[in-house]
Amino acid sequence: MILIDYISTILLLAGAIFFLAGTLGLLRFPDVYTRLHALTKADNVGLGLMVAGLALQAESLAAIGKLLLIWALVLLAGGSVAHLVASGALKRGVPWWKR
Amino acid sequence: MQTLYFTLALFLLLNLGAGMWRVLHGPTAADRMLAAQLFGTTAVAVLLLLAQATDNAALRDVGLLFALLAAVTAVAFVRRAWPNREAKHDPD
Amino acid sequence: MKALKIKIHWPSIVSRGLLFSLIWWFLTDGAAASWWIGVPAVLLAATVSTVLVPPVPLAWFELLRFVLFFLTRSLLGGVDVARRAFQPNMPINPDLVEYSLQLPPGLPQVFMANIVSLLPGTLCASLHQNVLKVHVLDKQTDFLTELKTVEQHVARILNLSLHNP
Repeated sequence: MILIDYISTILLLAGAIFFLAGTLGLLRFPDVYTRLHALTKADNVGLGLMVAGLALQAESLAAIGKLLLIWALVLLAGGSVAHLVASGALKRGVPWWKR
Repeated sequence: MQTLYFTLALFLLLNLGAGMWRVLHGPTAADRMLAAQLFGTTAVAVLLLLAQATDNAALRDVGLLFALLAAVTAVAFVRRAWPNREAKHDPD
Repeated sequence: MKALKIKIHWPSIVSRGLLFSLIWWFLTDGAAASWWIGVPAVLLAATVSTVLVPPVPLAWFELLRFVLFFLTRSLLGGVDVARRAFQPNMPINPDLVEYSLQLPPGLPQVFMANIVSLLPGTLCASLHQNVLKVHVLDKQTDFLTELKTVEQHVARILNLSLHNP
């Protein structure tokens, strides 16, 4: 293994931890809004870190570009989906949890 | 690296499976809608890992399509598959 | 109904053409033969897009600054929510707050609403008549400063001025 492989490995593993955090939040958090927080933010960071780790291993500059494009698309979709689900829940009167 | 890619892809798949518990159990319909978000990111990550592991660049394009479809499925879910309790307020 | 007034705006056709070329290059993995389709497709897309989505005056330097701000904040957002999800006592204290937008309706507000959900501790729950309903994960955090900073960023990118209430 060369240095770049080590950096990749660290980024990929860190990404996996964020995905785990997203799922943990999804299972543990008390209402749909807080679960959306967890899923949206943690998974997007997880994917971002994985994309970074994979980009270091990619065969060409264009492939790196494609990876970044995919991440940007997921970010864009993630923001809209979170808003869509949250506003749908609010409109239908899904109560939000308070401590 | 190959082993790492496959292990992580499997890990993400298990992660997705655990997340499905929430989607299946609800309790509200809104929780079911979270599936769109969960799949949107996790499936893309799995596909990108597999693309690298199997040296199959086409899988990356599948990931790209999943990223594009995530938004569309979410709109379809929220607009069509989500029972509306206050139907009178809905203009559609 | 007003007829669509077609006005060719060369600078934006050129800049969008460059952007679309870059995307085409990514999508095709730089395959040289693909440009036979790529060049006409890019030209067509650039021209049509300037008619369908009229050019907005973007401050490029501000956009770059915003991208850096956004990347660091969304990374922190992930760290923040992950920390709360991992901790056994789950330190969350959610609330639903209203934020009056000073940005004009349309693209600026939608842009802002989309970004808010990816920043630490905030989730945009509805956007209606210049009021953004924001679900915050922890009401003790300084989410108000965060929202104001984002709004100022958006205003600077789009060359807008915020009227202070």
